[in-house]
Amino acid sequence: MKILKKIQTLLGVATLVLLAVGLWFVYNAPEDFQQGGAVRILYIHVPSAKMALLSYLFLTVASALYLWKRSETADILAEAATSVGAAFTAITLASGSIWGKPMWGTWWAWDARLTSMLVLLILFKGLMVLRNSMDDPVKGARATAILAIIGAVDLPIIHYSVVWWRTLHQPPSMAASGNAGVHISGPLLPPLLILSGAFMLMGLYMVTVKARQIEARRRLDALESARMHPDE
Amino acid sequence: MTHTPRATPPPADHDATPPVVIQLEGVHHRFGRHRVLQGIDLTLRQGECVALYGANGSGKSTLLALLATLLTVRQGQYRLDGLDVTQHGNEARDKLLFVGHQTHLYGHLTPVENLLFFRDLRGLDLPESRLRQAIDTVGLAKAADKPVQWFSAGMRKRLALARMLLAHPRLLLLDEPYSALDIQGVHWLNAILTDYLRAGGALVMASHDPERVAALPHRPHHLARGVLSPMPLPQPPLPEPTPC
Amino acid sequence: MLKAIYRIAWKDVAGDLRRRATLSSMLFFAISVLIVFQAAFEPDRKEALRLLPGLLWATTLFTTLVGLGRVFQAEEEDGAFEGLLLASVPRGVIFFGKWLGNLLLTLLVEFLILPLTLVLFNVDAWSHVPAILGILTLGTLGLTGLGTLLAAMTRGARSRETLLALLLLPLTAPMLIAGVQAIAGVLLQNGAVEPWLKLLIIFDLVYLAMAPWAFGWLVEE
Repeated sequence: MKILKKIQTLLGVATLVLLAVGLWFVYNAPEDFQQGGAVRILYIHVPSAKMALLSYLFLTVASALYLWKRSETADILAEAATSVGAAFTAITLASGSIWGKPMWGTWWAWDARLTSMLVLLILFKGLMVLRNSMDDPVKGARATAILAIIGAVDLPIIHYSVVWWRTLHQPPSMAASGNAGVHISGPLLPPLLILSGAFMLMGLYMVTVKARQIEARRRLDALESARMHPDE
Repeated sequence: MTHTPRATPPPADHDATPPVVIQLEGVHHRFGRHRVLQGIDLTLRQGECVALYGANGSGKSTLLALLATLLTVRQGQYRLDGLDVTQHGNEARDKLLFVGHQTHLYGHLTPVENLLFFRDLRGLDLPESRLRQAIDTVGLAKAADKPVQWFSAGMRKRLALARMLLAHPRLLLLDEPYSALDIQGVHWLNAILTDYLRAGGALVMASHDPERVAALPHRPHHLARGVLSPMPLPQPPLPEPTPC
Repeated sequence: MLKAIYRIAWKDVAGDLRRRATLSSMLFFAISVLIVFQAAFEPDRKEALRLLPGLLWATTLFTTLVGLGRVFQAEEEDGAFEGLLLASVPRGVIFFGKWLGNLLLTLLVEFLILPLTLVLFNVDAWSHVPAILGILTLGTLGLTGLGTLLAAMTRGARSRETLLALLLLPLTAPMLIAGVQAIAGVLLQNGAVEPWLKLLIIFDLVYLAMAPWAFGWLVEE
């Protein structure tokens, strides 16, 4: 936890710098011949989608580590990654929706990516609620860790079942245009890479802040419980 | 049932020392950041009984739950019959029987059905007649086919203790075994426990009731703030209070 | 070990039939859901045929939630859950016992709901009843597997029923998609049944393989 305190400021500054550079590139990037200015939304959408999935990956690893080693640090990191992941997932869904309105003509389409993202958001929320609704924090931590791992196995199944559903069931009109929108190349690529890096740093920064906050709260809870039960 | 206190266990350094059943070494346990047990060492041999005394919240129930494998030993060592319990939970559970505050009975099932459930989960190979016999022994013959939900606390306790007669465990763990039992029940339980210890069983019990435990040969231990320490061997029973 | 699985399931099913607790509430809940659908969509015969797969699965899913809320109810009394954990069988065996009991009750309700749905919605699909029941059963294997695990997970949680729904519904998305498509394939005879059956089997296998393992982690203190 002490390391986190040291790197927090560094991470914050690096995030800001990289974000500024990336956004400057985005501002100066040429418009897409098909998508026009709307393509700029993707510079936010794509990195946050990546971060949503990365957060879940991080969460899964931390959860497995917690179950295996019972290290409280792993649990704190898992809890932090859950909130951060939920935030990125929400940004992904919102930005996808904003992009979808001009491009697809609708705010929402049941395409595989969007559907999986929506399920992911509910899963993140479920993990938070599960943890908070247990009176015994250790039980809450264990249940959450197990659910996170189950979710990790389930997410690919969800994704592919929606893909099959859309391809077998409906002509892949929207799904195709949805895929086409994410292929970015040429002069559009550098800002995307920079912003991906910036989002990654931002994710780490958020996890750091959140983890320190959770740690402090748990210490407070422990003090409070020691005060309430002095002779135990 | 004799009432003469047979306080002293067989001398420990005798040639024919009975085999060790439980060995606890440096066992610590915590709930979150809260330390409940600190450095517990305990050796229990066949035919011995350890009685745990201590205030509420001193860690008695936690220690029993650890011994019963309901909690996992994460710091320190717990061996049962030489077996590392952390690694061999199932084998350990096969050797021990735990009767806690709660009697683990299903209200909608009858005593016979509850014991059938116990038998099959423990993998015992016993005919139903043996179960009825055990129910008879604990004095519940008349209620053998009535749902347990109407039973009194004492009847439930008796039924829970009937499991002991079926399983013949190597190690018996009892949490407040005398609570809810009437005087007759206490005598009956002590008689059974004496037989069990004579037959080479090992017993750990938590109690608030030294007078009732006194009928059994036992070593008293005291738990305070998670630290276990042996108490002086039980004195002869306290003199009857002089009538006023 | 099989004996232990059987005994746990027997305890739950016999107990339920004796108290008539879960089974009848599931059944009447299912009927209420059907009434809601009827009032909400007012389908004519043709629409009803198209809606039937979704109707059946949605009813099944909601009804399962009612049953799952009670899976461990008997174990909450008198420390019986602790008693289960004291059994000298692997934790997975306990899980399979609880799962089997829940599966049997859920299947019983489904088998009663199907004819009822066909009658209430005026759908003439009687010749497909065996196939539909087969698909329902296939999906229910994994559904109750995941559900029983989540029920164990939410033991002792506050506002448990809501939590159970929040956790179960998103994770069952693949089963719901595959189950609905499979029944639709059977009803409309358009042939695309097999891939969906495969997906259902994958779903079942994943959950029935993972759940006993997860249950073991869950109860180890």
